[in-house]
Amino acid sequence: MRLMLNILLLAVAIGVWGCQEEDKRISMAADVKSDNVAVNMVTKPVIYAFSWLIGEGVEIDRAVTYVNKDGFTELEIQGHNRAFNTIRFEYKVEWLDKSGMVVDTTTSTWLQTSAAAKSPFAIKAVAPRTTVVDFRMNTRKIPNN
Amino acid sequence: MIKKLLVFALFASTVTLTFVGCSPQTENIDTINDQGKAVMQLDYRDFDRAASQMVQSLIASGSLKKDGGGKYVLATGRIVNDTMQRVDTDQLMAKVEKELMGSGLVVMTSTVSGGTSPQDSMVYDVRDIRDSAKGGEFKQDTLQAQGQLIAPELSISGKIIQRNIRYDNDKQQVEYYFQLQLTDLKTGLRSWQDETIIGKRGDRKKVPW
Repeated sequence: MRLMLNILLLAVAIGVWGCQEEDKRISMAADVKSDNVAVNMVTKPVIYAFSWLIGEGVEIDRAVTYVNKDGFTELEIQGHNRAFNTIRFEYKVEWLDKSGMVVDTTTSTWLQTSAAAKSPFAIKAVAPRTTVVDFRMNTRKIPNN
Repeated sequence: MIKKLLVFALFASTVTLTFVGCSPQTENIDTINDQGKAVMQLDYRDFDRAASQMVQSLIASGSLKKDGGGKYVLATGRIVNDTMQRVDTDQLMAKVEKELMGSGLVVMTSTVSGGTSPQDSMVYDVRDIRDSAKGGEFKQDTLQAQGQLIAPELSISGKIIQRNIRYDNDKQQVEYYFQLQLTDLKTGLRSWQDETIIGKRGDRKKVPW
């Protein structure tokens, strides 16, 4: 009975330790932070393989736009990388005027960015004209990489 | 004789077809969605990226917003090419100038510039004509009067730097730094500057110039 109680206490302690609230503003890399019950040297390869198998990657959470004091639209795309590896990719932001036409600008080019494993990331862009009212964005794998 | 000619023709056509078949075909680059691999030297994609980031940074800084409205008169100063490549710095600045003018914040001047940045020599040529004997050949009210040129208020200058680093036995790392700065010509004060780094890592045998 005492042994059962000890095991139960240990399980609860480990459970509590494993479920500790982490500050979501801080992303600790898997090989930097402490192991826990769910993620440790035994389970990591399985978790990584599963993540790869189901094709986890980058996801966009939201796009924030605002018009700065000079009248130019600024854009911030916020997202996170679900994968266990850093994902580099290219993006191109195109700006649209009030009639929905694409604004002709050389700033709309493929730019590179990188999202660290299991971490949030942000992409910033500034419209080159004050006539811009909206945007659209494409992404692609870095060619031949 | 005819047989020999036929054999020769067959041989010549075989050789021609062999060489034509082996050589890579020339193709146009899709400059909008280029899927080509990266190269160790600077190519047009690098200039596009650098210019795009610089322009966005400069516009967002608010340094080009003139108090009381209106547009600044901007001159392109000296852009130093400190790389091992024969880079025409206009490849960068033509894009930057186009976008800054398009933003409605500045007008560029073609009367003064630093280094190899473009001036329009015609501005001075027509004035030389006005002041020469040939000036009499022109309708006088179509000639440019004195004191009409507008001096620049701001200057944009910069540098492109290259650093080569041995990464390991097989690879080298080439770093390109694009640096631009904006100076108020009246006060000499610098109101904006930024740097874009483009790094490449590749075969050590590939020559980055």
